[in-house]
Amino acid sequence: MQTLRLGPVSLTVQRRPLIVGIGLLFLVALAAVAALSIGNYPITPVGIWQALTGRADAISSMIVLDHRLPRILTAIGAGAALGLAGAMFQTMLRNPLAAPDIIGFTAGANAGALLAVLLTGGMILTGALAGGALTATAVVALAWRGGLDTHRLILVGLGASLSLGAGADLLLSYTDENTAADMARWLTGTLHARGPAEVALVWVGLALLAPIALWFGFPLARMSFSDDTVAGLGLPLASLRLAVTALAVALVALAVSVAGPLPFVAFVSGPIARRLAGNGGPALSAAALTGATVTLGADLAARSIPMVQLPAGVFTAMVGAPVLVWLLGVQARKGRL
Amino acid sequence: MVRNGTNCRLRAEAISVDYPGRPVLDSLSLDIPDGKVTAIVGPNACGKSTLLRALARLTPVAGGQVSLDGQPIEKQRSRTVARHLAILPQSPLAPEGLTVLDLVRRGRTPHQSALSQWSRTDAAAVDRALCLTGLKDMSFQLLATLSGGQRQRAWIAMALAQDTDLLLLDEPTTYLDLPHQIELLALIRKLNHDTGRTVAMVLHDINLAARFADHMVALRDGRVRHRGTPSEVVTTEMMQDIFSLPCTVISDPVHGHPHVIPA
Repeated sequence: MQTLRLGPVSLTVQRRPLIVGIGLLFLVALAAVAALSIGNYPITPVGIWQALTGRADAISSMIVLDHRLPRILTAIGAGAALGLAGAMFQTMLRNPLAAPDIIGFTAGANAGALLAVLLTGGMILTGALAGGALTATAVVALAWRGGLDTHRLILVGLGASLSLGAGADLLLSYTDENTAADMARWLTGTLHARGPAEVALVWVGLALLAPIALWFGFPLARMSFSDDTVAGLGLPLASLRLAVTALAVALVALAVSVAGPLPFVAFVSGPIARRLAGNGGPALSAAALTGATVTLGADLAARSIPMVQLPAGVFTAMVGAPVLVWLLGVQARKGRL
Repeated sequence: MVRNGTNCRLRAEAISVDYPGRPVLDSLSLDIPDGKVTAIVGPNACGKSTLLRALARLTPVAGGQVSLDGQPIEKQRSRTVARHLAILPQSPLAPEGLTVLDLVRRGRTPHQSALSQWSRTDAAAVDRALCLTGLKDMSFQLLATLSGGQRQRAWIAMALAQDTDLLLLDEPTTYLDLPHQIELLALIRKLNHDTGRTVAMVLHDINLAARFADHMVALRDGRVRHRGTPSEVVTTEMMQDIFSLPCTVISDPVHGHPHVIPA
């Protein structure tokens, strides 16, 4: 650990997390270049550079700047937001299996989106955000008992997720075939045809929320102790839990609004990041970068399959499922299941 | 209540704590004498852990109040309280992948902020805590690889790094074998002697409490029934009253402390 001191200000930098962060940043950049160049119309790295600097032909420019770049920037932003939110939830709830899905946000967003489509024929986003926020609020309120008990939060959230999932299936059966197909794609999470609006939304949101989230890294690193220890160290547990929950829900909402409920990204990023950083801390920035890498990789894989347009969510789920199995195995070995 | 000339920064004033269906502490008053080692003893479910937790504002009181430096403790900022009072809860849990040094550093939390993450005072306090507990050479070992006794010492080092005048310990010797219990209590005694810290701890073993404490408090059914020096408290009458255990109390031939021999 290195300490930077300037008068009363002192900041700490740990070597391994720093190296991991730089490595992940490099990986995101590498995946971005790959995603810019791979596709039905392959473009060399030189061609990408020319397009980015405005010296390429019209077709290359259009493909890079109008199609691939917004999609990639959206993927990075949404993935980082989900990774951050997942790591915050997992550290706060002291449960590596926790994710925003646990608190019911994703299931609420899905049900809300479907309800909005059925009632109005559109307004997917408004419905999703309202559904997600309502569900998260209801779950926190139901789990609240003089403070936010983490076990109650997980149980209530799980119950809400399952019931809303069933509700969403029911709603889906009321829609006509075309709407059902469109909705199914949205519900899986897709980055298809993203434009400047999505890019602006997710990056402005991240610029506002990510610094606050990273600021919470300090108390979060201490919230993984048991409640008594945390309170003994003088941290206001109840208000911290509420603030972290609100912040993580806002981050998930941001990601869902530009990419749909990409499954498992929030869930897998935390455990991978914590293992890489290896300092027993919440590894928030590493989780954000892991989330970006996973999402970008999944979208690249989804685009690379010829003939069909698969949503990226299919591939995040393919990465997520083995990690879930691995984590369950680790938990079972420790006798915590 | 207060002995002549003894100050008490931490006091319970007629506190009551109820768990659903039964009162745990019943209008209990207690002063923790400054600079002394106080042992709280009593049978299972007598409320001794609850008393310690209430003193550390971990359990809210239904009636009465706990005061620190004359002010109600629950009215003070959590951070301010944590700069004066550290508590080591019973069987604490740590996240995975934490080294001894990581753990002890976390003890500095009430003195830190996002802009003051590691001041020279922090570094000095952690170094002192590691030296006092003899863990300096094990700083970089993972907590999970330590023996039970070493791990308990690491938690005590974390509480010491918090640099408080008051230290509350909830059954610090649980799960330790006899040599480690003695080692730990000798360490606590030494800390009190060398640094003048006030210690209040819940202990199960009456004989160990009598040997290592200056002041003893015996609880039964949520009330203080006996208090005073070990010789005043550890008597045949107390053992009958508190534990309903017939016994003989002798003077320990080596140290001269009262020693209970159950009949």
